[in-house]
Amino acid sequence: MLDTIEKLPLSVWVAESPSVFAYTLVLSLHAIGLATVLGINALIAFRLLGFGTGIPLSSLRSFYGTIYAGFAINLVSGVLLFMAAATNMGTMPAFWVKMALVLTGMTLALRLKARYLDDSAATASGVVPPAIRRLAWVSLTCWTFALIVGRLTGYPEIVARIFGYRI
Amino acid sequence: MESLSQALTWPFMQELVNAHGWLWAVFEIIHYAGMSLLIGLVGGLDLRILGCFRSVPIGAFKAFMPLAIAAFCGNVLTGLAFVTSNATGASFYVENGSFQLKVLALLLAFVNLMVFQFSGLERRVYAVPGGADAPGSAKVVALVSLLSWIFVIIFGRLLMYNDALLYTFGY
Repeated sequence: MLDTIEKLPLSVWVAESPSVFAYTLVLSLHAIGLATVLGINALIAFRLLGFGTGIPLSSLRSFYGTIYAGFAINLVSGVLLFMAAATNMGTMPAFWVKMALVLTGMTLALRLKARYLDDSAATASGVVPPAIRRLAWVSLTCWTFALIVGRLTGYPEIVARIFGYRI
Repeated sequence: MESLSQALTWPFMQELVNAHGWLWAVFEIIHYAGMSLLIGLVGGLDLRILGCFRSVPIGAFKAFMPLAIAAFCGNVLTGLAFVTSNATGASFYVENGSFQLKVLALLLAFVNLMVFQFSGLERRVYAVPGGADAPGSAKVVALVSLLSWIFVIIFGRLLMYNDALLYTFGY
């Protein structure tokens, strides 16, 4: 199955075209999307944890459009990057850990929005409940680990050494 | 170029990274975290000036700027670590077209920041309350800032694949 994905014409084009608009552009878009999703999520978490109090809590929900845009860029570029290296990525534990962390991060972001940021009465009070602050901490931690594990997918030998298995 | 390459090739950094291969990955993780913070904080401010998140008073972003500066300093240090510790010498970066374009984009971001800071725009922009629009000249500065950071990322990613850039543009 992974082999079939990797041999699709689109996968081969992304992986093997010498053009800058193939693999390298997709890789650049993935970095831009990553910085957008992580950066804006961090901004929201920092505000909920008490930094930059000049940003009204009721305004935080307006940042979600940018998160969705960054996530959409990374969904498309991520699928293309996976297709280009399906046999390598699909069998790499670090890749699936990263996927789980990204899904958890996005779920936490949506949960923060549904539980607090969409509640105009709650945000108008100016008080961030302890449960929401905890959620902000978990979100920051989750995205930090997603970034770390995501980078480590480029270094399978280091991951193997950390967890004591052979590749 | 050759003397610059020599000056930026530091044998002790090459030996350090050669002896501890994981250091390179750690530098990369810090570099990516810094990049994300810069895009979230400076890119967020740029987008607000351009008209997104209009309910946020623009001055509210000022509190995050020390963190953005710290992230940038972290990236300059880790960037210097990449250049000075490269196994084949700093010439890999110094003579790399994508790296040169990345430095150019960084210079553009810096000059743009200086214009923002010293033209009096910064004071005017930070006084814009929630719901109000930034002055047109500030929007130009914000757009240049956003685009220059995007190009810093693009050329930063491209420098490992400089051949693709050369191929596409016919070299």
